[in-house]
Amino acid sequence: MDDARLTLLLAIADDEMVTGHRLGEWTGWVPYIEEDLALSSIAQDEIGHAKALYELAADLGAAPSADALAFGRRADQYRHAVLCERSNKDFAYTIARHYLYDTADEIRLGGLSQSSFKELVQLFTVFRPEERYHTVHARTWFSRLADGPVDAKHRFSEALASLMGEAVALFEPLPAEESLREDGTMPVPSEQMLGRWLDGVTRDLESFGLERVLEERSEPAIGDLVPTSSGAAEESGDAARLRVPGIERQDGRWVHTGGFEGAGGRRGHHSEEFAPLWEEMTNLYRTHPGATW
Amino acid sequence: MRSALDGVMDPEIPACSITDLGMVERIKVTSEVLEVDLLPTFVGCPATDMIRRDVEKALKAIAGDAPVIVRFVWDPPWTTDRITPEGRKAMSGFGIAPPLLQIAVPCPYCGSRETFIESEFGPTPCRTIRYCRSCSNPFEGFKRKE
Repeated sequence: MDDARLTLLLAIADDEMVTGHRLGEWTGWVPYIEEDLALSSIAQDEIGHAKALYELAADLGAAPSADALAFGRRADQYRHAVLCERSNKDFAYTIARHYLYDTADEIRLGGLSQSSFKELVQLFTVFRPEERYHTVHARTWFSRLADGPVDAKHRFSEALASLMGEAVALFEPLPAEESLREDGTMPVPSEQMLGRWLDGVTRDLESFGLERVLEERSEPAIGDLVPTSSGAAEESGDAARLRVPGIERQDGRWVHTGGFEGAGGRRGHHSEEFAPLWEEMTNLYRTHPGATW
Repeated sequence: MRSALDGVMDPEIPACSITDLGMVERIKVTSEVLEVDLLPTFVGCPATDMIRRDVEKALKAIAGDAPVIVRFVWDPPWTTDRITPEGRKAMSGFGIAPPLLQIAVPCPYCGSRETFIESEFGPTPCRTIRYCRSCSNPFEGFKRKE
């Protein structure tokens, strides 16, 4: 198959696969059963979507099988965005990542709905009604946490702030984007999809008074523990506040300017958090070549 | 061939056949080959491979020496509107509320509409969890997909 189309297919498939694996790590650990089923079901959907995309790539001749693509590549051959591989940390962090990813995925499904890549459009038509449940789930938790008790609101906004820069990089243009534009595979350029997504995220954040998430990203606080007036220990020194890289407010709108933080996922550059995930995800395939399950 | 396919049940809702669910898109019978195109329901459904196996088995039983080809295709997209009236009835009889537009779907146990969605996600990708205020039973509903 066309190499440029393969880079697009793998970027989307790997995003879904890695997101599915991360969400699946919650199975059995969520504090109540309904939410356990929700995260597990979303994980199952995402892995199902990845499987369908890998099968398409394999059918078009990119690999001998879907499994060879899903599990038979080196870590630096995966093309997902770094955001997707971030470990779950706490529930607020997981929901922040889930919200940022699934809202971006929604924009991407829309942006590619008129693509000249017919087989991909067919799959997306089948994915979209399923993905709608994911964004409803993410938005439900968004408002519950953003409007929730102080601790929930604090943890959630800190998580959003720390992930915002890498979420922007979900829309990092693909290395082959120019040729994908020319043949109509990508009728809407990544940069334009990013603009649409940022507008939506800005609206969501503003409606809960969380716009500061766009202005600054938090770095873990470094300092000694000191007692406060209530007797509780608190970390001294404010958490370092840095600008979220890559975005800027212009004429009342948040827009992308310049580069991408954590860029390179689309070219196979990943964070240290991907190595253990890759190790686990591909273990069976590597240990027992040719195994079926 | 139709009746062979009518006998292939969904492994997770054994009261419904794949024809009840509207999964059979196209069949072709010639003296040389038996061919069927099926539509997957929810993409992540692990029952898909079992269904393929069961369909192959059912068709081989009637095919004689002719080869059997079972394909899954994505076009047209499967939606819950494809579930037949018989399928909806069988589903309800099995204890799963068939998909409906309104939020208060009738309880499959007592028929009351005093029900609500407890969670959009259930034990399989195609089900939600609902609750009936009248008979105090939790029940499963088939998720809408369109």
